[in-house]
Amino acid sequence: MGAGALAQQREHTAEDRERFEAMVSEHLDGLFGASFRLTRNRTRAEDLLQETFLRAWRSFHTFRPGTNVRAWLYRILMNAYIDGYRKSEREPEVVDQEDVDEFYLYSKVHESEDYRRAGNPEEVLLNNLMDADVKGALQSLPETFRNVVILADIEGFSYKEIAEILGIPIGTVMSRLHRGRRQLQVKLWEYARRAHYVGAEPRPGGTGSTP
Amino acid sequence: MTEIDCEQVLERVWSYLDGEIAEEAYLEIQAHVAECEGCGSKYDFQRRLFELVERKCKEGPIPSELKERLFHLLES
Repeated sequence: MGAGALAQQREHTAEDRERFEAMVSEHLDGLFGASFRLTRNRTRAEDLLQETFLRAWRSFHTFRPGTNVRAWLYRILMNAYIDGYRKSEREPEVVDQEDVDEFYLYSKVHESEDYRRAGNPEEVLLNNLMDADVKGALQSLPETFRNVVILADIEGFSYKEIAEILGIPIGTVMSRLHRGRRQLQVKLWEYARRAHYVGAEPRPGGTGSTP
Repeated sequence: MTEIDCEQVLERVWSYLDGEIAEEAYLEIQAHVAECEGCGSKYDFQRRLFELVERKCKEGPIPSELKERLFHLLES
């Protein structure tokens, strides 16, 4: 390792810089988005991205051409995040709800009188969930789950890539991903129910009266 | 109907949507959700939910001034 020690840093040539820029450039949009989702804050996202960028530059000589650039960059990002940003936050206790399965949200909209009355419950739900609902639900997840959900469902990494990025076994990736997705659905249902999406639609004979 | 049953299909829907499943099982599930209305409806909902989460949580491109600032760091 020793990538952090500036004193040991090799001299980078202008050619190195060009190669690095060309390699990293196309991944900056994704890294920026992921930084934002991880830190939940614009300023901290920029700091995290800068730290990631500099760490990548310092250890550029350790990157083996032909291997997975994107996974390499995200591993640096996750390490930078874990080293620097996570400490300040207290992890909420992880409670698994046993009765929640993969189809929790589907079942809930189908059981709901309000949604059923709307005719096509799934359609109503999917069309009415707001950006803030989905982002809020993601941010409410315990961090170990959230990190895996971000890497899989937003960044589109495979289980194997996530295992490499986070340095955990594939079985752990799957279990965290599944638990995270279940909890995400529980949270989305809380938002959907609270927002009274169906009740907010005009009904015959009433002018926006609340139930 | 194919040989795989509804329960087996539903418990593998996530792996299927993640593309993390062997080709043979993949084809069986694909055929099943196309034929079975109950599984098809649940599968479809999951697929759209994943798309929704991805779409809603993706940030726009990196601001150009930030990108410039990063590359500028390399010059010092």
